Amino acid sequence: MGEKCNIGIFFCHPENGHLITLDWFDIIERMNNISRVKIVWNSRQTLLIDIDEFAKIISENDIDRIIISGFDVGISKTFIASAMEKASKNPKEIILIDFMEYGISNESDKNKAFSFVECAVKGVIFDPSEFFTNNKVNQQTLIIGGGITGIQASLEIANAGKKVFLLEKTGTIGGHMAMFDKTFPTLDCAACILTPKMVEVGQHQNIEILTYSEVKEVNGNPGNYKVKILKKARRVDITACIGCGICSEKCPSKVYSEFDSDTCLRKSIYIAFPQAVPNKYLIDESSCIYVESGKCGVCVKVCPADCIDLDEKDKEIEIDVGNIIVATGFKTFDAKKTEQYGYGKFPNVLTSLEFERLINASGPTGGEITFRSKDKKGNWVFAPNNGSPKSVAIIHCVGSRDVNHNKYCSRVCCMYSLKLAHLVKEKLPDTEVTEYFIDMRAFGKGYDEFYERIKSEDVKMIRGRASKIEQKNGQMYIRSEDIINDKLIEEKVDMVILAVGIEPRDDAGELEKILGITRSDDGWFMEANSQSNTNESFSGGITIAGVCQGPKDIPDSVVHGSAAASRVLRNIMKGKVKKGFNDFSSSEIISIVKEFSLKMEGKS
Amino acid sequence: MSVRVNTELKEELKRFGVNEWNECFHCGSCTATCPLTEENHLFPRKAMRYVQMGLKKKVVTNVDPWLCYYCGDCTTTCPRDANPGEFMMSMRRYLTSVYDWTGLSKLFYTSKIWEFVFVILFALAVILSFILFGPAVDKTLTAQGGVKLNEFAPISIIEIGDWTMAVIVAFLLISNIFNMFYKIVLSDKKVKVPFISYFIEIRQLIIHYSTQSRLLKCKKNRSFWVGHWLLMTGYTIMFIVVVVYLPWFQTEEVHSFYHPQRLLGYYATFGILFGLSVAIIGRLRKKEEKFKFSHMSDWLFIIMLYLVTLSGILIHIFRINGMPMATYYSYVAHMAILVPMIMIEVPFSKWSHLAYRPFAIYFSRLRRAGIRKQNIKINQLATA
Repeated sequence: MGEKCNIGIFFCHPENGHLITLDWFDIIERMNNISRVKIVWNSRQTLLIDIDEFAKIISENDIDRIIISGFDVGISKTFIASAMEKASKNPKEIILIDFMEYGISNESDKNKAFSFVECAVKGVIFDPSEFFTNNKVNQQTLIIGGGITGIQASLEIANAGKKVFLLEKTGTIGGHMAMFDKTFPTLDCAACILTPKMVEVGQHQNIEILTYSEVKEVNGNPGNYKVKILKKARRVDITACIGCGICSEKCPSKVYSEFDSDTCLRKSIYIAFPQAVPNKYLIDESSCIYVESGKCGVCVKVCPADCIDLDEKDKEIEIDVGNIIVATGFKTFDAKKTEQYGYGKFPNVLTSLEFERLINASGPTGGEITFRSKDKKGNWVFAPNNGSPKSVAIIHCVGSRDVNHNKYCSRVCCMYSLKLAHLVKEKLPDTEVTEYFIDMRAFGKGYDEFYERIKSEDVKMIRGRASKIEQKNGQMYIRSEDIINDKLIEEKVDMVILAVGIEPRDDAGELEKILGITRSDDGWFMEANSQSNTNESFSGGITIAGVCQGPKDIPDSVVHGSAAASRVLRNIMKGKVKKGFNDFSSSEIISIVKEFSLKMEGKS
Repeated sequence: MSVRVNTELKEELKRFGVNEWNECFHCGSCTATCPLTEENHLFPRKAMRYVQMGLKKKVVTNVDPWLCYYCGDCTTTCPRDANPGEFMMSMRRYLTSVYDWTGLSKLFYTSKIWEFVFVILFALAVILSFILFGPAVDKTLTAQGGVKLNEFAPISIIEIGDWTMAVIVAFLLISNIFNMFYKIVLSDKKVKVPFISYFIEIRQLIIHYSTQSRLLKCKKNRSFWVGHWLLMTGYTIMFIVVVVYLPWFQTEEVHSFYHPQRLLGYYATFGILFGLSVAIIGRLRKKEEKFKFSHMSDWLFIIMLYLVTLSGILIHIFRINGMPMATYYSYVAHMAILVPMIMIEVPFSKWSHLAYRPFAIYFSRLRRAGIRKQNIKINQLATA
């Protein structure tokens, strides 16, 4: 087209769903000043309704190329293309510049946004995939989060022969999956899938596990990061501990066990579960009597390996890595926020994670479904031989698909609720199990078949979101509308399981700042492209994987972990890191644009 | 049975209030939360379904909106912000216009201008009639020092006006109630109401009208009930006294404070003012769910009733203190607001709920009796 080409820009304003603070008017004004730009439309003022009129404007201004920039640009493309055809112009001369794809959302990105448009005016779509960093890439990788995603990613990279640091906040890797009893839809035992992988990670030459640690600071550029890591005082020497458990036996201090989702107590010196990796003990300083008052030290006296140092202090270490994978996972929704279900008020209203532990053979009751009761010291715990429920209700969508809490669907709850219903029926065949759901979202391979199977197992399915749990004379009642049968349900129920949704972790915001990546409106980490690239962030060397990017079930998380590993391995193998949008400054982009335009001019 | 889908129903309903109910994804939590919902009357979700699907016949024959007393629990727990509480309120407005065969109700609900035009027309008519029929302005006082009000507004004439208005309003309201009865009970050919039920269930109508106990079933409405009940009783007393016992009520003689005429008047005034202030403060603060959204018709009703009460108080004060002109002016003002309020609000607008609500309970009980009878028949057939 060359110099004579006239250009029109169609600017699409962001619609609902984009939280964006950008000064449009300024951008639109500056667009008007680019040479060769004849006209700038604005989606708020020019509604794409009348094709003939739009075509008229195109032919009047003799516009040869239209650049659709802004947000959700694809929507307008067909209309504009047909309008150009009507104006007897080449409809292929349309360039889409989607700001969302380029990671533009803030006022600070304004110059950058403008540069992308300028680039398009010159006839070049700015494609960062062609840009790699120049410096040499450090071959080591840091993976933040030791759940199934982190484990999978670290195994992939380590098996390719590269060094991995696997960082975990708690004392053992395994994450949420280690807490589950069975997996859907095949009802495989979760531990049977996970623990071999954990052991492999623990024994792998290329993997260094950093448990009980947190990321404090990240400096450097893609390909060469210096990461400061806080190693919290474990107070037990991992290399010397033989895992005999005498210390835990003698420890006088008891607190709720996080691993068991607070369904039972553990000692202050503990090991989360018998298959933990590393299988070494750990002192929880918030409950240790010695840390609190300086008196006790029973564990030190009984330890046969002499590996306990109660005065150990937190340490900070620094490692050099080339790539970082963020796989921090999720936390479950706090069921206390949905007051109508009485969680925290009625002892036998459980969250799904609590029930997952209760029904687990390694859980507090050895897999027996019992009622919650008070122990001698007044703590609510589950203990064996305490009666079993005659009717169990499972309430879906607790904290999900709800404008008062989280708007999104948590994706896993429908399926795990079906699984829990099956597990109850398996252990207590005479117990009535009822699921209260809004929509049954059985979306994966074999999932809908699983739903049909559970229905055939005499589990009652009620379409209706239960509205409240009430207690009259010590008996719980559940109230719901039965939409299919046009009835109102008010039934006795002995145990209620709340299918709580999943949320970003509390420390996701902190990590966001440390790593310099972004999060979307709902708090999950922002991916480079919601369709074609859910792994990369806007920073080149940082890859996101698993649930921290958005709700996923186990198979999807594993795949996502592997995919993240492949991106990291690409960077390592190529010896250069692909740049993300955040790694370009606007001046850099402008100089690239100039370079391009010079090239284009040279060609023409 | 063929079902007609009315694609314009949604648009039509939008003019009667908020329209967020499109958001509803039918989880049923509003129905289950509602303290008033019961077998055969599952609301508000079902009514929202009817509207979303455009089932106009189902909507206009639905009695459920009148059984809802708007505590707002459904709206606070709604996961979609669909605002089912206000939806039921909009439905009540819509149904009022459906029952009204003259079409004026729809006009008033959907057009501010027409409603004001009618208010002003009625007010002007009242003022004109005072001017035309030559008020006897008597500035002398009675022996007690009170104003000679009966010279200015002779009871015989006012009574004629009272009764004419009462007959017109009663005719309109009763015909509308019959329309409602036809839609809710008669149009459903499957339900045959046993004849005796018509008499038995009248008890419910009277009990509900006088106690409004259904309002107490909503936890959040319990404090509201006090104001509402005082307003209702105050209004009813005033209505009976003014229409039936006007010669006893509008006297020139200034009775002692403890005379029943004055005590009843004071109670009614207090009741109406108390109830009104609850509504006004609530609607201004917008804290409670039921007061968050105010339709134009809600405010108009409150303001008119407030002005009527205020001018009534002024008449009383001026009369017993011997201020003739002030009394006469406030009397005309009182009438000029009262007449349009009665003529517009009672048969066509918000005030009509004083009849529709208790009758809705009556009709729903009739229906239930019919369904019960039918079920017994079906059971007998099944056992035979």
